[in-house]
Amino acid sequence: MTGAGVLFVAGMNHRTAPVDVREQLALEEEKIREILAELSGRGLLEELMILSTCNRVEVYGVAAVPGEARSAAFTRLGSQRGLGWRDLEPLLYTVTGEEAALHAFRVAASLDSMVLGEPQILGQVKDAFALAQSAGTAGPVLHALMSQAFSAAKRVRSETEVGRLAVSISYAAVELARKIFDGLEGKSALLVGAGEMSELAARHLIDHGTLPLYVTNRTWSRAQELARSLGGVAVPFDQLDATLPMVDIVITSTAAREPIVTAEQARAALQARRGRPLFFIDIAVPRNVEPAVNDLDNAFCYDIDDLRSVVEANLKERQREALRAEALLGREVVKFSARLRQLEVVPTIVSLREKLESIRRAELERALGRLPGAAEETRLVMEALSQAIVNKVLHAPMVKLKDSSRAGHGRRWTEVISELFGLRGSGRSGPEA
Amino acid sequence: MNEVLFDVALTAYLLAAAAAVWSLPARREQLAWAAVLLTQAGFACHTAAVVLRGLELRRLPFMTLAEVISLVIWAVILLELWLERRQRIRPLSAFVLPVVVALGLGLPSGLRAMALGAPVRSGWIAVHVALVLVGLAALVLNFGGALMYLLQERQLKQKRSGTVRRRLPPLETLDRLTIATLTAGFPFLTVGLLLGALSARRAWGSVVAFDPLAFLSILMWIVYAATLLGRVTGHWRGRRAAYFSIVGFCVLLITLSAGAFLNGRHGS
Repeated sequence: MTGAGVLFVAGMNHRTAPVDVREQLALEEEKIREILAELSGRGLLEELMILSTCNRVEVYGVAAVPGEARSAAFTRLGSQRGLGWRDLEPLLYTVTGEEAALHAFRVAASLDSMVLGEPQILGQVKDAFALAQSAGTAGPVLHALMSQAFSAAKRVRSETEVGRLAVSISYAAVELARKIFDGLEGKSALLVGAGEMSELAARHLIDHGTLPLYVTNRTWSRAQELARSLGGVAVPFDQLDATLPMVDIVITSTAAREPIVTAEQARAALQARRGRPLFFIDIAVPRNVEPAVNDLDNAFCYDIDDLRSVVEANLKERQREALRAEALLGREVVKFSARLRQLEVVPTIVSLREKLESIRRAELERALGRLPGAAEETRLVMEALSQAIVNKVLHAPMVKLKDSSRAGHGRRWTEVISELFGLRGSGRSGPEA
Repeated sequence: MNEVLFDVALTAYLLAAAAAVWSLPARREQLAWAAVLLTQAGFACHTAAVVLRGLELRRLPFMTLAEVISLVIWAVILLELWLERRQRIRPLSAFVLPVVVALGLGLPSGLRAMALGAPVRSGWIAVHVALVLVGLAALVLNFGGALMYLLQERQLKQKRSGTVRRRLPPLETLDRLTIATLTAGFPFLTVGLLLGALSARRAWGSVVAFDPLAFLSILMWIVYAATLLGRVTGHWRGRRAAYFSIVGFCVLLITLSAGAFLNGRHGS
């Protein structure tokens, strides 16, 4: 392949395409591997990677004519489910060069996700890249792009709070618990009643080391069942008052019309706890815990609306943090461009070195052939002499190539040097960012 | 030379305090880092200045009240740096540094603490001062911890979810910090004050006679003793304990300023 390829990303996501189209294009790994091999076999693309998740289908590639490569790729992807190019084209976005790099970084860092900062996407991008590597369709450019994208995503994770704040009710509860308690290991929790959200919150607590978990319910069999599935201990419902002082976190979600934990009960529990904090997570509507409980010293009571407003505040905060992340990614793109420019001159440097080295070796052999009785010392001197000459000759063009790649016109010099030294595949150079 | 170093140290603390306070609501880690670096730089200068001062005067550099306060500040900074680093109580500096800077600026000549009269020289007095000094340093941190506790408790009670809640450590950690500083500082304070009282009786014939500092010290001791007792018996935990810490600290401030500005046996 001799084309001067351009890095591009073409695809559709949750903003540009309706779910029924996206789900048609979402393919399993084996199918993607097949398509990767087939498309790269056609010679339109130098490098290729396909990212297919439920929210996006994207083609990352290096091609001389990105437009052609894009239509070929999506025609092939669409043909799987009988979607034609005409159906797909209006839904697609295409970016090239630095914009493509920025797009890749934003996707990997989850700034382009439906739920800003969700953690799964990075793993999905990594999988897509691994697939392209194993199919042999990922080359030096995608390699540089992806390794930079992964490290950029990692920086966004550690340096901003885009992915750190809870954006679900159940996680918000855990986040709050961790601001009351000094770590959740060894804290105990009580789950009163059943419900999807409360069970999820209980599971998150267990994941953070909360132990033991007590479960109670008006229906004894239901309590036992739930305790079994969560790995907790079932407690009879009439033991609620006796259990309260033993636990640090209480999650309530019963259908009771009246509060099941009154301020009086909470006060007694707090007294028995000698002032250690008690955190009520009340997911029930109507509320299971009397709101006045929150006014008691060392008691904290969050109802569903409170948790929801925490989630909203966190979402807003994620958006603010996303702005910082964008700035960070902008700087990463600059670094990537520099890396790519260096990549541009590497093949020329390598082949120039190889060429001179092969000449040196051939000439050395020939010379030594004419000196059959040469002493070991003579051989060593000749070896050193030839190497010194090659290095001296190489020095100037190498420096020139490296400097020009930094200055952004490496391509011109690779052409000149290839031409001058008669390198194979003259004019061959890496792609352009 | 050491005069300049004292001023450099105080300036560094002042800048560090500003950076630390600003880093609390701001979304910039760099500010928090700047605060740490400035504090460390200030601490290095302060240490060098104290050592130089001691060499110059050929005596322990904490024999006047102003010198003691300067050294309390030094000890607070040392403990605060350690707590932030080892115990990961990150924004502690935002609460402790302003107090430290206020104390330093409150001294007539900053951290330099120029000695006016001839200081008392006695082995026991030196021990008395050293013990009280450690106790006071712990209580300054106790105050910082109590402030953080109250702020975080307010955030959680009022269900605010801002940067402040995220930046501050969990309530339990803060509660542990206040109890730890109190239990660590109190014995030093107790023994230190006791030694002071004994020396006073020997020298002046009375413990509190004509000395506002000694009198107020006892009041301060009582407040802290009550806080500790309430804590240990489990009656005052969390918010109430924090309020007591703050009251205790106010008495501490009054005590120190009484010592600095009123005439008494401790001199000024």
